[in-house]
Amino acid sequence: MKLARYTPSFDLGRVADFDQWLRHPFAGFPAVGQLLGEFLPGAAGRLAADVYEDQDNYYARFELPGVKKEDVKVEVHDRLLTVSTQRQTKAEGQEEAYSLSRSISVPESVRPDAIAAKMEDGILTVTLPKQEERKPKLIQVN
Amino acid sequence: MNATCCNPASTATQTTPSVGVTESLQKPLYNVIGNTDAYEVRVELPGVAKSGVKIDLEDNVLSIRGERGSATPEGWKTLHRELSGLGYQLRLRLNTPVDEDKLTANLENGVLTLKLPLKEAAKPRRIEVQ
Repeated sequence: MKLARYTPSFDLGRVADFDQWLRHPFAGFPAVGQLLGEFLPGAAGRLAADVYEDQDNYYARFELPGVKKEDVKVEVHDRLLTVSTQRQTKAEGQEEAYSLSRSISVPESVRPDAIAAKMEDGILTVTLPKQEERKPKLIQVN
Repeated sequence: MNATCCNPASTATQTTPSVGVTESLQKPLYNVIGNTDAYEVRVELPGVAKSGVKIDLEDNVLSIRGERGSATPEGWKTLHRELSGLGYQLRLRLNTPVDEDKLTANLENGVLTLKLPLKEAAKPRRIEVQ
């Protein structure tokens, strides 16, 4: 049996997805971004994320249209990957400001020192390399 | 301006992915700013490269198509998915004549900025009282 902390304010809205979410290695992140996103897509601090893996890496992808790469902050702390951005624009009497962030818990097998991030066409891709598998060590008998 | 036109049947939103349609598209977020000289349309097209943008202006309908490049690189296994990955389509009906020849488009960081200068005849004119 699996125990999940129940946080009533985090209404995920999509139960089926949540189930799936629990099963994959990034489970247990604070699902804050989901809170309002279902009702106001793209306008409520939600930063949607995709998570992939291949043999060597995990990949997390975020959509950040209109955000320059200098304005993106990618942090890893205590096995928690946090992507955040803040923007303020002023033009012809119009003022616009927003901040977006999303945290994802990172599996233990990730090497925190080798995490890389790339911005392309408004999509941020964070590459999280997996720890090299420890090979069985053969000990010579003398 | 600013009125969405002729929502095609193939347009799908993120919450209701259409099934059985040859082409699934989503409507991008957009913003229109207008003044007396020009309209500026900003369309969010994350994941679309410069070569994937197609802009048409026909019969006062401005259509913007954004094709994504290869969605996920080969060998990537999806663990969790929230982004839609669909291409984009936006059609806007213009109710003001714009100068097609001076239309400019610029794609930067996944945001397409279109500048549509108004035709001279459509600009407000001040008439001097003799």
